[in-house]
Amino acid sequence: MTAVPRRRMVPAYLATGGRTRPGTAGFDRLTVLFADRAEPPRELEPEHHRLWELLRPGALTVVEAAAHLRLPVSATVFLAADLVEAGCLRARAPIPRAQQTDRSIVERLLVGLRALR
Amino acid sequence: MTQIALVALIALALVAAATAALLARGRARALARAVAAETARGHGEERARAAEGRLARAEQQLREAQEAARRSVEETRHAEGRYRAAEERSREAESRGRAAEDATREADQRATAAGTRAEEAERRLAAAEAHTAALLAEIGHLAQERVAATAVRLSHANAPLVGPLDPQTVGPEAVRALQSVLDATTAALTDERERVDAAARAAMRGATSRIQTLLYQIQSLVQQLQDDNDDPRLLEVDFRNEVALRRIQTVAVLCEAWPGLARTDSPLAEVVVGALSRVPGYARIKVANHLREQRLAVVARAAEPLAITVAELLANASAYSHPETDIPVTVQQGGRGALVIIDDSGIGMDDDQLRRARRLLAGPPDVLLTELGNPPKTGFAVIGKLARQYGFSCHIEPSPYGGMRTLLRIPAALVTVVDDEQQLSVLTPLPLRAGAGPAPAPTVQAVPPMRDADEGDGPPALADRHNQPGPHPAPAIHVVPDASAGPADPADDGTGLPSRRRRRPLPADGPGAPEAAARPSAGPAEPPVRTPERAAEHWQALQQGTGSGRAAVTQAARETRTNDETGPNGGTSPNDETGPNGGTGATGEPGPTTAARDTGARTTGRPPAPTPEGAEQ
Repeated sequence: MTAVPRRRMVPAYLATGGRTRPGTAGFDRLTVLFADRAEPPRELEPEHHRLWELLRPGALTVVEAAAHLRLPVSATVFLAADLVEAGCLRARAPIPRAQQTDRSIVERLLVGLRALR
Repeated sequence: MTQIALVALIALALVAAATAALLARGRARALARAVAAETARGHGEERARAAEGRLARAEQQLREAQEAARRSVEETRHAEGRYRAAEERSREAESRGRAAEDATREADQRATAAGTRAEEAERRLAAAEAHTAALLAEIGHLAQERVAATAVRLSHANAPLVGPLDPQTVGPEAVRALQSVLDATTAALTDERERVDAAARAAMRGATSRIQTLLYQIQSLVQQLQDDNDDPRLLEVDFRNEVALRRIQTVAVLCEAWPGLARTDSPLAEVVVGALSRVPGYARIKVANHLREQRLAVVARAAEPLAITVAELLANASAYSHPETDIPVTVQQGGRGALVIIDDSGIGMDDDQLRRARRLLAGPPDVLLTELGNPPKTGFAVIGKLARQYGFSCHIEPSPYGGMRTLLRIPAALVTVVDDEQQLSVLTPLPLRAGAGPAPAPTVQAVPPMRDADEGDGPPALADRHNQPGPHPAPAIHVVPDASAGPADPADDGTGLPSRRRRRPLPADGPGAPEAAARPSAGPAEPPVRTPERAAEHWQALQQGTGSGRAAVTQAARETRTNDETGPNGGTSPNDETGPNGGTGATGEPGPTTAARDTGARTTGRPPAPTPEGAEQ
């Protein structure tokens, strides 16, 4: 990014297309998005296609996609919800924080792996 | 008297004649007597002597008679003189009488003339009275109707102009004088209006500049909030704020304030989309980008004015068309400069409105706030003002879509090409190629390849995938035509534009670090497609490997064979994904370590998306 901050010309709310709520509820910052194989329909806006293309190589969370698109999370959710509705994107609930791994199991695994040699 | 004289004269003459005859007879007797006397001379002589005596007496009498005759002649002459004098006098009297008659006639004529003159004078008096009355009525009319009508006319160009009541009666001079009164009134009114308007504008300018500043502050606050909060209502707040800003900005510009934003050179497509975002109902506005050069930009000083202009045009188009209809906007690149064409299928304009709109769009120098109606219709006036100040032009005409079409022509002087470093917003429409039909699915070039500008080592894997030539080789601004771009080049050879490299949008140690860091340095030969299924396969292979390894403790003979088959598979597959770990970590057992870390998540069957746990542990 350039160092000089610019007053924004294109506001993020354009992604909402004038709606107040995304078409599908339940999106979170950490909701994982990954592209389905289906091409996004042509009626959708270019930014939808860009999100879809961004996700084609692999899965990203909403917050990551937002960072890549340089949009706020709230605006990205609108795009993602549209794509999910169109059936060319899938979303999964965020992964809950992992529980503390039982150290003994790891140790045993380590022993086993060493024993492989 | 004359007659008397005449009679006398005649009488005298008769007397004289009778006397003469008597005398002649006396002589003849005398002769006879002389003869007789001869005989009796002695006697005769005596008688002769007596006769002579008588003759002498007769002669004396003759002489007297002659004298009397002479006297009578004289008297006659005198009478004649008198008569002549009397005649003279009578002639004089006659001429006098004639003169008197003439004088009388003349006097009559004069009297007649005087009569006509008097009549004329009366007529004139009546006419003058009528004229005065008409003039008074005219003055009253002027005061009551015409001045008011002229004043109204100043603010409403279509208001009827009231003329004099009866220009025939009062005459052209009075009409001219009355008109001069009106002209003076108009001049005075205009001056006063301009003064009042200037004062109003100054007051508005002060108020709007403060509100504008506040709204900008709200805007940046809302933007910060949007980054921290995911509430979609913040987007709406932002939008409402933007609309309010537009309103304030137009009023400010109308009041001769500076548009109020310093911008850098801005891509034209962004300017149009930015303008679109300031209009209620922006979802109806469909921008078709036909620019040959996506980085075509508007010079810094004209960026905000043009955004205001396009926003006003779009606001008009959306306000005067049915909310269900689309508003197509075409952005074109001309031979020199650029063109923004806005169509609406609205209600259109009648001739009067069109004339007014064109007048305002031409940027007349004397637009007053009060001319714009109540509430003021600021759009066209603002556009005209900005167009005049910044040198672009705007034309309006009936649209083939049924409503109006506005053409905004941006001259070459206001157009530039934006710097490579400047990134276009993701919401900016990409250029359509000629003949490509309706908006093709934007190709991968549109997506910012996650490649650091600093990394020069080898073609980045992700950039490769993103830069595969799509069905429409549109000129993508993101593509780097230099050698390091590798396969990206073929997609853009045709355009030959200089372009830029993207910087990595996220720092490597952020929450999404494992993913973001993994992508750029992944092997170019085998693009890793990270799906949960694939990851599960990898882990399954690892599990199988470890399981078989444990089994190998007891069965040494088969142990080596199974290890040769499954071990390498289990090791290489995760390496595709977690390349950086393999590079940076210890050469010993990087794969199994990450595997062990992720096992907890993986065994629960959840997708292998990046999670914060990597950073936490």
